[in-house]
Amino acid sequence: MIFQKTKGIHIDGRKAMSKHLEMEEYFNPQTVYIHLLKNIGPLKPVIEVGSPVKVGQIVAVREGFGEMNVHSSVSGTVTAIKKVWHSSGKMVDALEIKNDFQNTPDDSIKPNKNADSLDRQHLIDLMKQGGLTGLGGAGFPTYVKYITKQKIDTVIINAVECEPYLTCDFSFILKYPEKLFKGLKYFMKAANAKNGVIAFKSYNTQIKEALLPYLREYKNVSFKEIKDVYPAGWEKYVIERVTGKTYDGLPSEIGVIVNNPSTAITFADIVERNIPLISRPITITGEGITEPRNYYVPIGTKVSDLVEMGGGYAKGLNPTEAYYIAGGPMTGRAILIDDLIVNDTLGAVIVKPVVEKLHPECLGCGKCADVCPVYLTPTEIKKALEAKDNKVMELLGADKCIMCGLCSYVCPSHVEITDAVVKAKDTIRNLKKGVK
Amino acid sequence: MMARFANGKAPFLRIADDPKKGTGIIMRDFIIGLLPVIIFAWFKNGILVYMDGNTDILGMLYPLFFIFTGGLLSMIMEALFFHITDKDARSFKAIMKKLSTSYSVIPGLILALMLPLNTPIWVLMFGVFVGNIIGKMIFGGFGHNIWNPALLGYVVIKFSLMGIINASGGYFNASEMLIDSYASATPLSMLSVDRVLSYEAVVEPYGNLWAFFIGLTPGGMGETSALALLISYLWLSARKVIKWSTPVIYVGTVFVLSWVIGLIMGVSELWFPIYSILSGGLMYGAVLMITEPVTTPKNPLGKIYFAIMLGILTILFRYVGNLPEGVGTSIFVMNIFALPIDKYTGIIRANRWRKPAWIYMAILFSLFLLFGSYAVLKSVTMYTLVTTVSPFLGGVI
Repeated sequence: MIFQKTKGIHIDGRKAMSKHLEMEEYFNPQTVYIHLLKNIGPLKPVIEVGSPVKVGQIVAVREGFGEMNVHSSVSGTVTAIKKVWHSSGKMVDALEIKNDFQNTPDDSIKPNKNADSLDRQHLIDLMKQGGLTGLGGAGFPTYVKYITKQKIDTVIINAVECEPYLTCDFSFILKYPEKLFKGLKYFMKAANAKNGVIAFKSYNTQIKEALLPYLREYKNVSFKEIKDVYPAGWEKYVIERVTGKTYDGLPSEIGVIVNNPSTAITFADIVERNIPLISRPITITGEGITEPRNYYVPIGTKVSDLVEMGGGYAKGLNPTEAYYIAGGPMTGRAILIDDLIVNDTLGAVIVKPVVEKLHPECLGCGKCADVCPVYLTPTEIKKALEAKDNKVMELLGADKCIMCGLCSYVCPSHVEITDAVVKAKDTIRNLKKGVK
Repeated sequence: MMARFANGKAPFLRIADDPKKGTGIIMRDFIIGLLPVIIFAWFKNGILVYMDGNTDILGMLYPLFFIFTGGLLSMIMEALFFHITDKDARSFKAIMKKLSTSYSVIPGLILALMLPLNTPIWVLMFGVFVGNIIGKMIFGGFGHNIWNPALLGYVVIKFSLMGIINASGGYFNASEMLIDSYASATPLSMLSVDRVLSYEAVVEPYGNLWAFFIGLTPGGMGETSALALLISYLWLSARKVIKWSTPVIYVGTVFVLSWVIGLIMGVSELWFPIYSILSGGLMYGAVLMITEPVTTPKNPLGKIYFAIMLGILTILFRYVGNLPEGVGTSIFVMNIFALPIDKYTGIIRANRWRKPAWIYMAILFSLFLLFGSYAVLKSVTMYTLVTTVSPFLGGVI
């Protein structure tokens, strides 16, 4: 407790359903929907309804902080602006683009001959133009991490993927191991970093085997194997295991930038072939899916099309008694209608039958406090929340919660304790904003 | 194809989804953990007495009957309470469902195990009523009580009805009554009457320390055997029903403090601290009462703090108070502190060394340390203190 160290517990990964399957490319949805929302910033469409678009053409821009371009993922015609489901659990505006199945690339998409000689500023501009955001789940604009004034020493590729069920990063790496190294190389260049580290879970020997041949070529890159615990993919956890250092605000304070492997692979495409972020890997899995699979799909694809490709929902599945989860099972969101659209942060859709929840009272075993990776006491925070005692909530550090979901996971009484802590966190955040 | 799906909150994976790992299973494991203690209580007070020829078959079975009556009474009382207060619980089935999430059998069993064999059934009934109804149901049922229900019943009986229990035979079973050397008292009550710490006075009448460890000394039915409780402890910690460290810290604190008392009193051998942790209900309290989740702190730091304070308080009650038994009373007092301890240790844990919270805890801790040293000093006569300390001081000078 005095020498605080991040920690986690082992969770059954349940990845076997889709792990042995190769990633499938699926390039031809009937229509795609480009959400007019990126990370938390709204986008401004730069194209009229009714006009034709090509693959990779800029269709919207984000202005102000995190300014960047957003591209069409298919060629065809913009037919409407509609409200559709977003993985954040809300309905947002989206551009509806009808696919003409021609796959006409935009003029900007062409191989970059002098990719190796690009300098730092140029690479950062490419990130901005390519609309690159973190594909791990937070969706933070990647270039913002790189324009830091701090001296960056290490770039870490976080291939830990600690959420159960998810295998999209895993199969994406196996498919493009070389691109991963290239992406990392460009990231290191963009950060002026000397070292690159690829961190993955120690039991993922396939990743190690696939990456090992390239290690000779890339001298500054090393591997770091991480224990199989949850939340081992948490940025702070990975950094502490790799560098032995910890930080309070952003990892750049101690000279580290962390990126997702899918982001690195996409960045390699951006630099070498000028293909912006228009596709992403996604895992469609869960007990409620006939054939769980990993796909590499254009952003804006309907998830229901993907489910249909995998043979639809499992036989006998009653939708009203199943969860349709956008994201991982620990941190994801239940979507009420299966009309979800793939956006840049959606790494998985899991369909999973509901388990009946008995709600005995909290028996006070304290397991939630035991497992908390940021050393909070969730039961006390819940108590303070119920008493509306904002000061105590803040003293108890509710705003430090990383929303990993472990407290609810270990609770033997099915208490919605994570939900309470997250509410407390929001309350404190809103209060602080109000003061400013 | 548009389907409506269920709503829910992250995480969508729960340990409790597994039917083998819910609160119900924790409580089941706890009852299994009580079995060694129940079996020993039966063995000592029933089978052994029968083998000595001091009782008949019915007398042999009586200890089991007594313990299970405790469990049954607490279920009946809670059922009645549900029936009277809860409009939804009018049918037999509904009441049984309420009982199954209220874990009503446990307080009764624990209370019965703490009482001596000669307790009249109506006293047990009174204890169960106080524990389950006043101590638990009125507070809002399972998970809301401040005091351990069984403990509340025990403390009330101890303070108000001990005379009745003593009149009907006190702590001795039929065999033990025939032994002259048991000077009408339990080992610990000897200690509080006469503070001469000699092996001959406090241990010898009952055999040796092994008798204490195995549990063949007079006392409450389930309290005496450290061995049976050790088996329970191992089972409960292995099943993660209790946190293994809390009993160890508690017993360790009592061990160290009584060692210090022994040293000052001129007892340098280890028999005294060992005697001190094996006698009375200390082991019982350590394994089954201070690990009770509802009424003790929830966060790991708080649990450590709680156990240390409890150790100090136990010593205080044992060597200073007039009560022969300090464990029950000290847990009873510390249960009240569980709430503030949880809050402040929660703040300390979240912020490492946050000042205000840390100061509160430090003040509380030094207060208890003061109690502890007072206990040590009070149990030592001025004369012995001077005679032990002065040669040491002389040596220094």
